[in-house]
Amino acid sequence: MSTDTGVGNGAGHSPAPFRPDLLAGGSFIALGLAFAIGGARYDVGSALRMGSGYVPIALGGTLVVLGALVVVMAFRGGDPAIRDVERPPVPWRRAGLLVAAILFFGFTVEGLGLAPTLLVTTFLAALAAPEVKPVRAALTAAGITALCLVVFVALLQLKLPLLGDWLGG
Amino acid sequence: MRRHIPLTSLACLTMLTLAACGGGDADPAAYPEDDITMVVPFSAGGPTDTVARLIAEPMAEELGADIVVQNVEGAGGTIAGGQVADADADGYEVLIHHIGMSTAPGLYPDLAYDPLEDFKTVGLVTDVPMTIVARPDFEPETLEDLVSYVEENADTVTLANAGVGAASQLCGLLIEQAVGVDLTEVPYDGTGPAMTDLMGGQVDFMCDQTTNTASQLQAGKIKGYAVTTPEPVEALPDLPTTAEAGLPDVQVGVWHGLYVPADTPDEIVEKLTAALEVALEDQNVVDQMATLGTTPVPAEDVTPEAHTAKLEEQIDLWTPIIEESGVTGG
Amino acid sequence: MDGILLGLETALQPGNILICLLGVTLGTAVGVLPGIGPTATVALLLPITFEFDPVASLIMLAGIYYGAQYGGSTTAILLNLPGESSSVVTALDGHQMAKQGRAGPALATAALGSFFAGTVATVVLAMFAPPLADLALKFGPADFFSIVVLGLIASIALASGSTVKALAMIVLGLLLGTIGQDQFTGVPRFTFGVRELYGGLDFVSLAVGLFGLAEIIRNLESRHSTELVTRKVQGLWLTRDDFRRIRMPVLRGTALGSALGVLPGGGHVLASFTSYSLEKKLSKEPKKFGTGVIEGVAAPESANNAAAQTSFIPLLSLGLPTHPVMALLVGAFIIQGITPGPNVINDEPELVWGLIASMWVGNLLLVLLNLPLIGIWVRMLTVPYNVLFPAIIAFASIGCYSIGLNAWDVFAIAGAGLLGYFLIRWGCEAAPLLLGFVLGPLLEENLRRAMIISRGDPSVFVTRPISASLLLLAAIIIVVAVLPSVRKKREVVFQGEDD
Repeated sequence: MSTDTGVGNGAGHSPAPFRPDLLAGGSFIALGLAFAIGGARYDVGSALRMGSGYVPIALGGTLVVLGALVVVMAFRGGDPAIRDVERPPVPWRRAGLLVAAILFFGFTVEGLGLAPTLLVTTFLAALAAPEVKPVRAALTAAGITALCLVVFVALLQLKLPLLGDWLGG
Repeated sequence: MRRHIPLTSLACLTMLTLAACGGGDADPAAYPEDDITMVVPFSAGGPTDTVARLIAEPMAEELGADIVVQNVEGAGGTIAGGQVADADADGYEVLIHHIGMSTAPGLYPDLAYDPLEDFKTVGLVTDVPMTIVARPDFEPETLEDLVSYVEENADTVTLANAGVGAASQLCGLLIEQAVGVDLTEVPYDGTGPAMTDLMGGQVDFMCDQTTNTASQLQAGKIKGYAVTTPEPVEALPDLPTTAEAGLPDVQVGVWHGLYVPADTPDEIVEKLTAALEVALEDQNVVDQMATLGTTPVPAEDVTPEAHTAKLEEQIDLWTPIIEESGVTGG
Repeated sequence: MDGILLGLETALQPGNILICLLGVTLGTAVGVLPGIGPTATVALLLPITFEFDPVASLIMLAGIYYGAQYGGSTTAILLNLPGESSSVVTALDGHQMAKQGRAGPALATAALGSFFAGTVATVVLAMFAPPLADLALKFGPADFFSIVVLGLIASIALASGSTVKALAMIVLGLLLGTIGQDQFTGVPRFTFGVRELYGGLDFVSLAVGLFGLAEIIRNLESRHSTELVTRKVQGLWLTRDDFRRIRMPVLRGTALGSALGVLPGGGHVLASFTSYSLEKKLSKEPKKFGTGVIEGVAAPESANNAAAQTSFIPLLSLGLPTHPVMALLVGAFIIQGITPGPNVINDEPELVWGLIASMWVGNLLLVLLNLPLIGIWVRMLTVPYNVLFPAIIAFASIGCYSIGLNAWDVFAIAGAGLLGYFLIRWGCEAAPLLLGFVLGPLLEENLRRAMIISRGDPSVFVTRPISASLLLLAAIIIVVAVLPSVRKKREVVFQGEDD
């Protein structure tokens, strides 16, 4: 609870709104609206028998208000906790590779089976490392895959198919 | 498919000779050659899981293969149902499911499978009686008292249940229908929390399986009115049946059965049925079920025919009741 | 007292000690895997225990449970991957300590704090089980709603930055907790027709994404591999100053955890969060929390372990499970032919007291087992990061998938990772969100249930004594929290500098 909203704090500190707060506040408003509007499709009910929509609408509305406060903070000099922190550029490519690796796992683990899926997933993830060569990533992937198979399949006896239907397992 | 490939295939894998490692064609006569997975649609430790684990061991012994219990929770057991309906019809994935198999068509209009068309029945396992119980200081003393009390105080009496589609909710619907009242239902996330609040006197009464109520009744921590079976329950000698006590229409038991995908060869189903029959005669299974206040079904019900008949009868019973009550699983 | 002696006699039989050792070892080994928390570990290893006689099997199961809990803290500290709600808090300062080369003291604090708390809570369990169980029954839905409110208010202290953002993250967490089937009406909410989402988002996926994956992406902001997380290791053991600093937090954490663990329906969830918040409140330097202070590890770890122990009270004296792991134990009891219920302590004294005494033995074994292992765990940090992070991705994916064979649990890691990365970049911390997520369903359920039981009369929250005093406490916390920050803000304005 070290710092609070920038109400009155550092007004006129900088003329442009503080982008991270703008984005955070905007996201909260968007998410709050999404839940509130989504919740309105369900039965709201009464205080005695609250329907499925009651709580999401109430909370969604609260989130919109809080998001608005964060946006206000953006125009009043920004959140002091991160205002002066350096932010390196977002590593889009690497983050994309990691997300792709995880999504690949989810989509294919049942069809391809654990072993081939893991090889691809770890290879994609290893490619996200800085200054890595594909060969090196492949070696890393093979090693981690072998380790995972030993730990989860041989030692823990998880009942996951090594090869899935798509490969005729 | 989720058949477990034996560890030896690890070696094949490293050579990446993928095709060579595929499982061979299933030969029904040789079944079972591999571990069998028994899919439980509810969480580990719950009553259905307990029944599954109890019978898995003697069945495995009889079949000569390991049976692995896998818990696939969610959406009132329909996720597990969908998984087994889509599984390879080779007998290596078996579903154990309870009364929820017959209520799913009523609760879930967009159900991804048909309980009758997409499965072969293996046999019934057990029919767990239910009990009508109340908080310890609840006024009515007998089931008759309860009925008149509920009729007079329909506005204030609270009826607990373990959530949408739970056996306790179904039994509650039957009671409301039989008495002709619409009570305030208080849903809980499972039986444990509901029992906690019943014992603590936060809610008035509920109807739940003996699995959950027997020990609390025996210890006098809650009040019991009746059992919902035609016969009295041995573990609870003091409780009359609903028929004896004046609510003959409230007949409900949490029956369990085993299922395999519809295209499974009959030879495999016969082997499973035979193993189930042996398991249900196992003294340990009988003893353990007795501590839960239930018994294995009689031998003549451990057949696909009896099981299918029960399933059909229950679907016909529950679907209109559920539709009338407006309850939905979504 | 006879009970304890009987219990010790049972637990100290060589065979049972061995079983206990086996349990804690297995539990630690599996619990330490990323993406597999204590509940999952117990579920995975449950079948092994069926091989033994009832006493041995339950001793082993309990051993697996606290072994897994300790293993989970290890992963949280070393890799920032909490496997259960309780270790989320441990990750806050524990991982920061690890980054500063103080993983050894962090792990040792977790082990010693847990041992102390476990010992005290075992005594509490042995002496006060029946009265505490009766107290737990007094807690109705309205009271539970109020304690959740209190927990949420206290959790604002989990964040070190802006209060408004922390509040927003709590609310966002509460909203994420509404995803899935509404248990009151059966209506699936925000599931977009995906049946796998009916059960809601998976906590472990969310935690692994928000903490673990987000942290990996943040680390990969560096352009060159040489800049990646250079982790030094400075000493494995606590300094004299460390000992002095953890003394009171461990005591307070133990007391708080012992009390909250007894509550039915999820009191244990609150234990680690509230004890962390309490320490931060009492600290002379609250701003240092979140940057790697040892008190921030000691308090929640003690609270968590104490709560884990006392959560056996409703189970053993009433047969009521208050925790998913307890529900698994109920199943184990039944399979062993023992009907869990109010009579079990009279019918099976050897079993119950043996189990209680074995918890203390297990905690001791856990310390003996883990202190020498700290050196090995810490060395894990010297694995090149280029290899470590793909391995974390792989382990986390398998871990989250293997529990429910649900691909959506894996997708959730990716979604939560991106969300977490950006929110943290924008100064919004993940811990309050996770607390909101865990407590959301409890809050909503108990609110709706309380209103149904009171027939729509909201005054029930202030007329029930327990509920009223909890809400009063929450109000006091708000006043105490807001006043100084208002005053501070004035000073900040005058001094023209902040933080």
